[in-house]
Amino acid sequence: MLRFIGARLLQSLVALAIISVVVFVLARTTGDPLYLILPMSATQEDFANARQYLGLDRPYVEQYLSFVGRAVIGDFGTSLRARRPVSELIRERLPNSLKLAAFAMGVSLAMAFPLGVMAAVRKGTGLDRAAQIISVLGQSLPTFWVAILLVEFVAGRLQWLPAAGLEGFSSYVLPGFTLGWFVVAGLMRLLRSSMLEVLDSEYVKLARVKGVVEHRVIWLHALKNALIPVVTFAGIYFAILVTTAIVVETVFAWPGLGRLAYEGISSRDFPVIQAVVLTTAAIVAVVNLCVDCLYAFIDPRIRYAR
Amino acid sequence: MLAEPGALALPEVAAAADPASRGRRLPVFSLGIIGLFMLVAVLAPILSPADPFEQSLRNRFKPPVWEEGGSWKFPLGTDRLGRDMLSRIIWGSRVSLAAGVLTVLLASAFGAAVGLAAGYYGGRVDAALMRMTDATMSFPVILLALILAVTVGPSFTNVVVAIAVILWARYARVIRGQVLTLMQLDFVAQARIAGAGAWRIITRHLLPNTLGTLLVLVTLQIGYVIIVEASLSFLGAGIPPPTPAWGSMIAEGRDVVTRAWWVSLFPGLAILLVVLAFNLLGDWLRDTFDPKLRQL
Amino acid sequence: MKRARGVVSPFLLVLVLIGMVMVGSGWAQAKPELTVALSSFSTEVLDPALGGHIVKYYLSLMFDYLVGTTPDGQPSRDGGLANRWENSSDYKRWTFHLRKGVKFHTGDDVTSEDVKFSLQRAIGKRSTTGYAGPLRTLIQDIETPAPDRVVIVTKEPTLIIPTYLSRSLSTEGMVLPKKYIEANGDDVFARKPVGSGPYKFVEQVTGSHIRLAAMDSHWRIGTSKHKSILFRLVPEETTRIALLRRGEVDVADVSRERVRELEREGFPVHFRRDEAILSMWWVLGPDGRTPPTKDKRVREAMNLALDRAEIAAAIFAGKADPAAVPLGLSWSFKDVGFKVTPEMAYPYDPARAKKLLADAGLASGFNLDVYAYQLPGLPEGKALAEAVAGYWEKIGIKTRLIPVDYPAFRKLWVDRQIPGAVGYYNIANRDWIGAYALLEKMAYSPSKPNDTANDPEIDGMIAQVMRQTDKEKINALMRNIFSRLRNEHSGVPVVYLHSPYATSKTLGKWNPGTVMYDLFIDQLVSGK
Repeated sequence: MLRFIGARLLQSLVALAIISVVVFVLARTTGDPLYLILPMSATQEDFANARQYLGLDRPYVEQYLSFVGRAVIGDFGTSLRARRPVSELIRERLPNSLKLAAFAMGVSLAMAFPLGVMAAVRKGTGLDRAAQIISVLGQSLPTFWVAILLVEFVAGRLQWLPAAGLEGFSSYVLPGFTLGWFVVAGLMRLLRSSMLEVLDSEYVKLARVKGVVEHRVIWLHALKNALIPVVTFAGIYFAILVTTAIVVETVFAWPGLGRLAYEGISSRDFPVIQAVVLTTAAIVAVVNLCVDCLYAFIDPRIRYAR
Repeated sequence: MLAEPGALALPEVAAAADPASRGRRLPVFSLGIIGLFMLVAVLAPILSPADPFEQSLRNRFKPPVWEEGGSWKFPLGTDRLGRDMLSRIIWGSRVSLAAGVLTVLLASAFGAAVGLAAGYYGGRVDAALMRMTDATMSFPVILLALILAVTVGPSFTNVVVAIAVILWARYARVIRGQVLTLMQLDFVAQARIAGAGAWRIITRHLLPNTLGTLLVLVTLQIGYVIIVEASLSFLGAGIPPPTPAWGSMIAEGRDVVTRAWWVSLFPGLAILLVVLAFNLLGDWLRDTFDPKLRQL
Repeated sequence: MKRARGVVSPFLLVLVLIGMVMVGSGWAQAKPELTVALSSFSTEVLDPALGGHIVKYYLSLMFDYLVGTTPDGQPSRDGGLANRWENSSDYKRWTFHLRKGVKFHTGDDVTSEDVKFSLQRAIGKRSTTGYAGPLRTLIQDIETPAPDRVVIVTKEPTLIIPTYLSRSLSTEGMVLPKKYIEANGDDVFARKPVGSGPYKFVEQVTGSHIRLAAMDSHWRIGTSKHKSILFRLVPEETTRIALLRRGEVDVADVSRERVRELEREGFPVHFRRDEAILSMWWVLGPDGRTPPTKDKRVREAMNLALDRAEIAAAIFAGKADPAAVPLGLSWSFKDVGFKVTPEMAYPYDPARAKKLLADAGLASGFNLDVYAYQLPGLPEGKALAEAVAGYWEKIGIKTRLIPVDYPAFRKLWVDRQIPGAVGYYNIANRDWIGAYALLEKMAYSPSKPNDTANDPEIDGMIAQVMRQTDKEKINALMRNIFSRLRNEHSGVPVVYLHSPYATSKTLGKWNPGTVMYDLFIDQLVSGK
């Protein structure tokens, strides 16, 4: 088992290294941040001064090595725009992204469970269809549109829920729902087919024959078995939620990583762009690693597959 | 991502999953919608009542014909620059569908090639290709599209390239998983014994057996691409004006959501119908072809 | 039935939970904190010397200026640290008398040493403020003969010193604590700024908010009505308005499109009238203007092709007025005695425009690149570019819309890589010194990459203004500059923009003022 974890860890590190090079190059192709930092009347000399002061005139290889060397210990340099250490900015924003993703995951599961179970139990009927459509609807609407409509009507007109910011539990609801609805379909589908498998299994058939009440059969036995694949996929979706929340963060003024990346790209802030991409890649890698290990633990065959 | 559990699942478990789904009725609704919009996209020059680019500020924000102040000249109303909404939606179907289809074709072609190669050759080739795939999958699509938009300016090409460049990894992973399973089966060993080369085995034996999975993925992803394009338009990195694209039309109308609701609503409905249709069709395809793919 | 119940109950549970959450959620609560929601914070840097294009909304509450201004932008003895100032007869020595008893948030007294330190820092090498350049060339020395007296010695006679160090322009006049910065360094100062203003810094989460707390009493505003102020960054318009409706913010900048809706609901909307001029220009080539816009007739034609009244009504929801003078910063017109006559206003005359093009030999039109981008305070940017391109198409010009973001355009403009292409900006309106400073940047050839006029006559006049100390002569020069800009059709002035700020219904009196990038929030919170 340890060998497996070790091998996967190494693989993740290689992937991260590739990403670090790619993002280093990409960030620098976006343009020159000095045009935003320096005022309109700056002279060539001012530009040269600023470049030297910010370390942007060193050869690229040196800049890259310095970037990677410090990134490993968590130092991502200083933001060119905000003039503050990038690691501080990330420390401020990452927890917000994680919290929102966790809440969204919760909403998603809260929706997927009843929908998936209902669809499985009422397979082939109108309810099955309805559950399917409700889930898929979440993937068929542009996220920003859903978000803006919710803000305008639920928050602004009806005033049932907060429109923005981080003030307490209720402010998680709208952004969490918007974000979470996107992945409901996948989870619901998984639940539905897992449930169907279990309901058809020998164990359940035997329980029915024995005369155990239908209600308890469904809940106690079926769900327990359906949970495993769902939990693992919830992990993957969690990573997706953290990394694709930029639209939701913009509309709900949620200070998370997505918005930080957007600001970084708009202001050609290399250190920030590099840091956010690496951080999100690291999160995805960590989550995938945990999920793979969990799977390997459950299914030993996978450990020995290539 | 992770070693696909489906790749190693024993066939009999899979078959027991959903026996009633096989031979289900054709998804008439989905096929109908997709067919309709494809037709509209192809026949846009004939169907469109007006020039989608023609602006007339005097006619801005005219409501649809059934509202007070509307007229048959602009059946679905006009946008902020006085352009006819119906024409823009008709022409927009071309743009949005083309973006979806092109992106997915590019991504699937490249991704399938990578997946086939990795699965067939194994060893170092597999390891190297899978590391590239891992790295690609961890890079957020939207950020890449933003970076491209800021570097070379937003355009139709940039949207397609930015999404395809990340999307292929998904295909690579899944196809590789499939190939791994197939490689265990007899017919590949037999083909080898018979002296077939790599190219022949891949194209004649492996690829045809993965087409079902590819079709499912492709169908599901077209809708996803259209949605991502809409999000990119919202962030300023999508298909730029004045080209009519449903995503940017919704984004343009977001500040008049109550006042001129038709500017966002109709393109929004169009996206909803098309993407819903593709998603439902993909679901049906998956259930019909290969229920093992439930994790897709 | 039993089956259904088992499935439905968790669903119900979730609904009940949601209901509880909604009941418990905050609806409007009375707050001692004033909340301002803005669509953009610019660079969000808290160190006044490092911001580049900086907004002063929160900075002018944390720091005091050497020279204060009235909300109209006129220098005032009441708003700044200097309660009087005088110049020597040769206009080369400016003496400022500081008011007594002012302290920094750390408790240290504000002295002339701090003023000298702040000014040197503002024009130092690391500074990126907008007006550091001219100050650097002008200032020869800064003397501190007494703790309450500062003398600024200039190399040339000039009138501009008090205004350049006032609230009406940028941040060069802000007074920073010498002891604190020297003891803790610039980095600490940027994260925990200290000033002498009526509010002190509490916390900042970049991309989210900035919170300030009131000092017990301040010479500028007495005892503040609001114990704290929160500036929130809310980029999405719909969300800002929802916050206003929920009573969670007291002031929000809103788009012109939504003003009518808010007024109908009873929210007071304050306008900063003519807050900016939306001016378009043609990018110069490395040697100046390139054909076809080198021909004056073409430039005039492009101006005549626009229906400014319709643009104002359609794109800007009527909250704009047609403009007639390129780079014409109207808040300076009264200062210098410039009047915009009816003849100066461009009529909407596409027929005449086509004729002018034909006269210039371009009856079949020509290719034109129009860059389209959004700007802070100008959400209508792309729509404007599209509309204007549409008008030019109607007179035969083949336009191509190029969407980039503003930083990308700015690079191309300043590097002169796109000669003849059209760009635009919503230039903040300002008084005559501010207008002069802007013209010196955007209409002055000598080594200024942002030049858009390339006009030797204007260059000559601008150079004279800087050295002139006779106000009458300065006024005459400025009038001539504006006239010439208009007569030479040096750009395409589109409209003057009115910027709306919606407030909560209980906020009370507020004059947001007519000072660049400042909202005069001290007025709102003043206990005087």
